[in-house]
Amino acid sequence: MPDTSRPNGRGRKRNSETPSRSLITILNLVRKGTADTRQEIERTCELGRAVVADRLATLAELDLVDETKTGIATGGRAPKLVTFHRNAGCILVASLDQNSLSIGLADLSGRLLTEHHEAMELSLDPRGILDRLVKLFDWILARHTDAGTLWGIGLSVPAPVLTPSSETFLSATPSFLPGWEHIPVVETLIGRFDAPVWIRSSVETMTMGELSAGAATDVDTMLFVKVGKRIGAGLAVGGQLFRGTKGAAGLIGQLPVTDAGRTGPLEAMAGADMIQREGLAAAQDGSSSYLADILARMGELTPFDVGQAAQAGDPASMDILSRSGRMIGHSVAYLATMLNPEIIVLGGSVAMTNDTLLAAVREVVYRESHPLVTRDLRIISSQMGSSAALVGAATVVTEALFDPDLMRGWIVQGVPQTHPGFRAARDAAADRLTTTPAPPTPPAPSL
Amino acid sequence: MRTTTPAPAASHTISGLGPHGERASDPRRLVITASDAAAARAGGFRVAVVLHTLSGNWSEQHLAAIAGTLGDVSIPLLDVIDCEFDPDRQIAALDRLIAERPDAIISLPVDNTAVAEAHLRVARAGIKLLLLDNAPTGLLPGKDYVSLVSADNFGLGRTAAELMAEHLPQGASVGVLSYDVDFFATNQREIAFTKWMTTQRPDVTLHTAGFGAPHLAGETARSFLEEHSALDGLFVVWDEPAVPVLEQLEELGARMAVTTVDLGEKVAPRLADGTILKGVAAQNPFSQGVAMAQVTILSLLGRQTPAWIALPGIPITPAGILGGYQSVWRAPAPREIMEMRESRASGS
Repeated sequence: MPDTSRPNGRGRKRNSETPSRSLITILNLVRKGTADTRQEIERTCELGRAVVADRLATLAELDLVDETKTGIATGGRAPKLVTFHRNAGCILVASLDQNSLSIGLADLSGRLLTEHHEAMELSLDPRGILDRLVKLFDWILARHTDAGTLWGIGLSVPAPVLTPSSETFLSATPSFLPGWEHIPVVETLIGRFDAPVWIRSSVETMTMGELSAGAATDVDTMLFVKVGKRIGAGLAVGGQLFRGTKGAAGLIGQLPVTDAGRTGPLEAMAGADMIQREGLAAAQDGSSSYLADILARMGELTPFDVGQAAQAGDPASMDILSRSGRMIGHSVAYLATMLNPEIIVLGGSVAMTNDTLLAAVREVVYRESHPLVTRDLRIISSQMGSSAALVGAATVVTEALFDPDLMRGWIVQGVPQTHPGFRAARDAAADRLTTTPAPPTPPAPSL
Repeated sequence: MRTTTPAPAASHTISGLGPHGERASDPRRLVITASDAAAARAGGFRVAVVLHTLSGNWSEQHLAAIAGTLGDVSIPLLDVIDCEFDPDRQIAALDRLIAERPDAIISLPVDNTAVAEAHLRVARAGIKLLLLDNAPTGLLPGKDYVSLVSADNFGLGRTAAELMAEHLPQGASVGVLSYDVDFFATNQREIAFTKWMTTQRPDVTLHTAGFGAPHLAGETARSFLEEHSALDGLFVVWDEPAVPVLEQLEELGARMAVTTVDLGEKVAPRLADGTILKGVAAQNPFSQGVAMAQVTILSLLGRQTPAWIALPGIPITPAGILGGYQSVWRAPAPREIMEMRESRASGS
């Protein structure tokens, strides 16, 4: 953390009267790569040379920008490049899913430095899962002591997160899953790591992950559809996630669909539970010797097994995945017609397992959507796996930290922990922990 | 008091997840048909191999399997490069190979971050990239690389913990010597070992230290033992660094249960002896090499291949070393090891 008591390069004491607005503007220009020389910054911000030089000196002292590299000369002296110091701090990210726990460490540009995924059943004791998450965070920080100060934590969870819009920083854990109502996730993480926490649904984080590092980095409008036990959609417009009024946009899993005379919610009719149930029936009634063999060897059958069997050409499994894909396709066709996306990305454990489901979704969407919608529409499977949620969680944190309104509270001190709002949230979280004891945390970074 | 835990049995299940959370694909699903083989022979393909090291049985077995399986379909190896665990050497090798335009490069990335860009350049050059054991952070299957083939490293770490547990007294103190380089395989082993101990043997206290290179592990162990003199067990994340560690322990006269991963030629006699080294969670490098060659052939033929192909590990104890040796190395155990076991069995 920079020593904020020192005077800056011009000998003036930095205080709250420092024109933070221009600091914020310049930092975001440099961070996003919109301007990378002093001349470009002056031109873009319409600020004078002396002001830009002063602000850059301040940002350099805060360790947020770097001017040691030289650009390419275009006639005169080669300009100094102004680059964002993305290693000035780091971000912890984690993704809770139905069958896995993933963690990662990202730099301030949201780029993952490392990641780890392990099998875990979400139905287990929530306090045990939180304890495991804390241990993994301890381990990853101990392994990357050169990653800089921790600036924030991003969590991805497998359900909608309804966050109060009035709070800049979370001080309490929002409701997101049955059984987790009284588990102090946010409070524990703030207390343990002294950093602000953001939580988003996995559909939202995976959508942002695809925008940041996946199939949609150069796309304006994207529809992301997560297919697992639950089915949900994420929408990005203008490169930005659209969350809706209460953060509940894209809950298509509840939409009714009809198949073989039965009507029910999409995620019950076409999600991972249906695939597992139908796969088990096919294994037991003799319609799939392939699945029967897996069931006999493993003692259980997962949706992933059915997906792999379909990929290997098992007719019964292909039929199950096709039926799932067609039902999902009906719902997605409506969304596509309403939103006219450039690309639809299918993600989640089921969608990434095989091509059968993808082919069925494509067939229905191309057939049922308006021809103008499908003219240049691409429908693909995600290549990012669970990494999408981690990258997206890091993007959620960086976008929040560098939001001009929020940055105004910390930019002159150089680290977000100095934001008065975070300090208040930290105190409130600590108070809540005293009334709701957190699970025990280990003394050392052992796992 | 000793807490008895049943010795682990070999398993066909994969307990870990891939570098992007993928579920493992079974290598038995990689099938080269007669028509595939004919198409591969007619393709005129060329492949290069870039390994972290060429020394040791692990690399020899992989190379034998890769060269043999590719040779069966007349695909020549253009080059085989030893990176000596050096990221700069690997980056230079990849850039040189890109200029030679092979159809595919099989690479074991020596680091998660330092060599990521160089591997991306391979993919951008239109060369099929197949990864062994490790995927650099940020590279995606199907986009930046074709497939990753590895052991179930999470399962190997868990097995190493299970093998050690039966030799630990109640309230034992156990050391973990981990690899300081950010590397998928060794991270998985360390995490799995520690997770198993903390969940299955909560009475055990764990201490961790890291080494930056295999040849430095002996020094790390010495200073680690000075700090923690009463260790009952020690896990080293693979066999090559375990060798200098075992030498240090022998020199110091230390007595503790050591487990590691992989049955290299230098640890095999120590496992047969069984005085300090109590168990090895072994990979099956020949089978992994075959799987790697098969997935390379399928990708060259334009087939869709799984993101992550993983092979289960094999738990080997001193008593089971003869069978274990044959399973791992596809060869009878050396006479020295046979005699050591006979001597142990007869109690002499």
